[in-house]
Amino acid sequence: MAKPKIALYWCSSCGGCEESVVDMAEDIIKIKESADIVFWPGAIDTKYKDVKEMKDGEIAVCLINGSIRMDEQQYMARLLRKKSQIVIAQGSCAHIGGIYGLANFYTKEECLNRAYKEVPSVRNPEGILPQVKSKDDERELELSGFHDLVKPLDQVIEVDYYIPGCPPNPKYIVEAIMCILQNKSIPKGSVFADRKALCATCSRSDTKPEKAVLKEIKRVHEWIWDPEKCFLAQNMICLGPATRGGCEERCIKANMPCRGCYGPTENVVDQGGKFLSALASIIDSKDEDELKKIADSILDMGGIFYRYSLPSSLLRKRIK
Amino acid sequence: MSDFEPKIIGFLCNWCSYEGADSAGRAGKVYPANLKVIRVMCSGRIDPQFVIKAFREGADGVMILGCHPGECHYKEGNYQALRKYILLKKMLTQFGIEEERIRLHWVSASECDQFVKVVSEMVKDMRQLGPLMKVNVGRFMKVARVRR
Amino acid sequence: MSERIGVLICECGPNIKDAIDINKIVNFVESLENVVMVKPFGLLCSDKGKELIRKDIKKYNLTRVVIAGCSPKEHETTFKKVLEDAGLNPFLMQIANIREQCAWVIKDKTSATQKAKVMIAAAVKRVVSQEPLRIKEIKCHPDVLVVGAGVAGISASLTLAHKKRKIYLVERLPCIGGKVALYEEVFSNLECASCMLDPILDEVLHHDHIELLSLSEIQEVLGFYGNFIVRVKKKARFVDIKSCIGCGACFEVCPVKVKNEYNEGLDERKAIYIPYPGALPNVAVIDKEHCLHLQGKVCNACQKACPFGSVNYEETDQVQELKVGAIVLATGFDIFDPRKSKQYGYGKIGNVYTSLEFERLLNSTGPTGGKILLKNGQPPKKIALVHCVGSRTRKYNEYCSGICCIYLLKFAHLIRQKLPDVSIVEFYSDFCLPGKEAQKFFNKFAEEKGIKFLRMKNPDSINIREEKGKILTRYTDVNGKSKNITSDMVVLASAIEEARNAQDVAKVFDISQGRDGFFIEEHTKLAPVSTTTKGIFIAGCAQGPKDIQGSVAQGQAAAGMILSQLIPGEKLTLEPMTAVVNEDLCSGCKICIGLCPYKAITYDDKEKHAIINEVLCTGCGICASACPSGVIKAKHFTDKQIYAEIEGVVNE
Repeated sequence: MAKPKIALYWCSSCGGCEESVVDMAEDIIKIKESADIVFWPGAIDTKYKDVKEMKDGEIAVCLINGSIRMDEQQYMARLLRKKSQIVIAQGSCAHIGGIYGLANFYTKEECLNRAYKEVPSVRNPEGILPQVKSKDDERELELSGFHDLVKPLDQVIEVDYYIPGCPPNPKYIVEAIMCILQNKSIPKGSVFADRKALCATCSRSDTKPEKAVLKEIKRVHEWIWDPEKCFLAQNMICLGPATRGGCEERCIKANMPCRGCYGPTENVVDQGGKFLSALASIIDSKDEDELKKIADSILDMGGIFYRYSLPSSLLRKRIK
Repeated sequence: MSDFEPKIIGFLCNWCSYEGADSAGRAGKVYPANLKVIRVMCSGRIDPQFVIKAFREGADGVMILGCHPGECHYKEGNYQALRKYILLKKMLTQFGIEEERIRLHWVSASECDQFVKVVSEMVKDMRQLGPLMKVNVGRFMKVARVRR
Repeated sequence: MSERIGVLICECGPNIKDAIDINKIVNFVESLENVVMVKPFGLLCSDKGKELIRKDIKKYNLTRVVIAGCSPKEHETTFKKVLEDAGLNPFLMQIANIREQCAWVIKDKTSATQKAKVMIAAAVKRVVSQEPLRIKEIKCHPDVLVVGAGVAGISASLTLAHKKRKIYLVERLPCIGGKVALYEEVFSNLECASCMLDPILDEVLHHDHIELLSLSEIQEVLGFYGNFIVRVKKKARFVDIKSCIGCGACFEVCPVKVKNEYNEGLDERKAIYIPYPGALPNVAVIDKEHCLHLQGKVCNACQKACPFGSVNYEETDQVQELKVGAIVLATGFDIFDPRKSKQYGYGKIGNVYTSLEFERLLNSTGPTGGKILLKNGQPPKKIALVHCVGSRTRKYNEYCSGICCIYLLKFAHLIRQKLPDVSIVEFYSDFCLPGKEAQKFFNKFAEEKGIKFLRMKNPDSINIREEKGKILTRYTDVNGKSKNITSDMVVLASAIEEARNAQDVAKVFDISQGRDGFFIEEHTKLAPVSTTTKGIFIAGCAQGPKDIQGSVAQGQAAAGMILSQLIPGEKLTLEPMTAVVNEDLCSGCKICIGLCPYKAITYDDKEKHAIINEVLCTGCGICASACPSGVIKAKHFTDKQIYAEIEGVVNE
């Protein structure tokens, strides 16, 4: 009997999710024994044509990483959705929008102008911007259209499961694929990570403060901190309390605070807003001026609190 | 847009500001119909997600009204509201939401004039500032799914 | 399964009907999702109206009810009862305020109608996510702990004991009666303080339901309202309280002399002593720090002298555990120490006294047998009385102590009685004379000869020095001129301040102190004797400076509250709209732990999650808002319900 088929695709992606697939190491052999990888532009020479020719639902499970910002990515996401029984959003970008999502604080025009005209390392005296259709001396050239907004996968197609993380933990990729291949029944919309926030498994949880302690915010470049104490207890912003666990605290173990890449826990819709609430609650001040000073000292609240989740937040983008 | 009527959502705490709003009614005061009130037990209950949700659904302005400092029925809930408000209004500017669109005021149960004043001022200012979103984008956005 | 929502629109007579187009509302509401019934009615809060709601709930099989009418603050309780009577959980109802916040404040009918539509639509959306809540009850202990046996504590104890509650009256000192027992006569009828107190002190000592634990302090308080567990440390008295009759044979032979704190250090007592003549219980006590025997030296004088064998050097401190349902803190006050400021000369100049010291001088059981004498044994010729020492000044205490003007008038009167030829000068900055008697008392004095009232610019503008054997008081008058007055003796009306151990008491009982040091009441006007810690009440000067009448009133008030809330045999009903932690999802981030004003949230170290004590939770929702995982649900004000309400209110 033919082995079930697996496909992997990348949209607006850095390649980290591809690496995490490779990081499955020996487990990749386990998967190769149970299934055939029929489409993986990141690693093997397969074409869109191959996918188009498949029957609907022919692919057992398709992992799509990266966020959607280009016509091509939207097209392929939709195509793969048609041809796959199960689609898994892999990595932060596909799950909640990822770091690319911060582009939603700017308009499409601002992004293109910045990248092609304003950046100091670009020489573009004629101010040429990429066009969908253009001509050079001999041919008509086509580039994929650039959308106004960055979107996570589930704002474009229906998604069955999610593997969060930037990059995701390889063990969850193995778990997800094997569960599906073994026909285990998993509720739709499940996220392959812990249900509790990071603090539950963090090695520094014993030093967590039990009352309002923040009097100022310290940033990572400003000082050298205690490598064993909870970051919040040391006046540093750590999104751990507002972020799903399951990453095995790789950042914490490297002595850096959590940046929230696994996204919010299941009861929270807006990770940035919820974290703001928690942070504000432990500020030790009642004075309006003092509070304003603390607020002003956090230079990019939107960027820090919504670092990975802006496109999947309540507002999704800059409204005006 | 001379006929633009802003939508203002007010989160009022049960003990002081909601009572203050009622007392404005009992005293026969008049204020703009633009304000729609949502009652909570304490201004400290207000989650920044509520404010953001209100804007997303189409509110042009959001007010948080609570008890005066030192008078909170639950001791210090109003200070919690203050802390969140100061951080939130700064962060929302990155979303293009002007700071004046979200306001926090202290209104006690007997201060019906103060209530009318802050509401009327807000409505007037929002009329001048204009609508937040040209189209109620919230309607067309797929609801962000709560994930398992 | 979809809900079946019934919407009832109250016309409130003409109040709502005239301001809003009811028909348009009915048409609009009929089109809303899940609404199966819409009815306008003249007056829903009337008996007929309530009957209609009851009937319709059953008739239309309603699972939810929305009432559009007056403010929920007006009739929410009324309609909750109606739902209960109809067999529907009272929390499955939402009220849309279309009167106080709509019909009464919007003159234009179209606008008012439009707003009413929106408010009702929001209520309809919200009520779908509402859940039935159960009102829980817990058993409680009817016994009460009263801390402090001054007038406030005694008033509370007697009031409670009359209703046969068991009272544990814990007092730090060896005797009861607090500060009032040290006074000579009290304002305004100048009744003898000990005569006034004796009957009630006696009642306390002999009451079947009051157990006095003197020389005791509370070490630990665990548990919560209705179910407190209190650990008391009873210090050893070294004298058997049952057999000692207070004859005094022991202190006559004691070789040790110590400064007598009950006479404010103005004279001495022995190491075995009775605090003052007439102190109750009339039993001696040994001061462990100064007794030779207890310090390891050889001395058995008191034991040998005692005709009843009551002295027991082997007695040890005891720790006792008490189970009580409520606690009254009546721990009293101490006065401002004028040594803090050089301007008063207190501690340097021998004949400058504080008010408490002067009370002891006046008292027949005091160090001078009731005679007013200077340190050299002679009676004074001129006495200066200084108001506002440590009160009403930004330097020390901004508040007014409220009783000093009155008791200084009392002092003036008593001085006149004992020394008719003495001239009296009073330095005041404002006269505070509230109540029924004080002004009359003052008016009498204002006309008398030999007593002068000199007004200071403010309490800070006074300076007391010694010059050529006399006391020189320099003050700035209201015109800014500096003046000097000499006198033999000065009495300082020291501010009433929090008791010296107030901070320790606050810590043990987990209640808050204001910036002024006094314990904070739950609400300045409407809940002056309760605190935000349920089950713990405060009474007397522990709550703030006040006179005896005020302290007694508060003691009785605290007792009253306990009698009405903590009833033997009855269970305590708990607030149903509490917050609850989803223990499966709580990550143990501890952000909520310190936020609760009622200390209802604790951290389970073993299971690593937060727990909310639903007896202590008052439903404010602060924790639900702050929780970064969104795992705290504020019942009846959940995120889901508020989101639904927001959607209803913004999307028209």
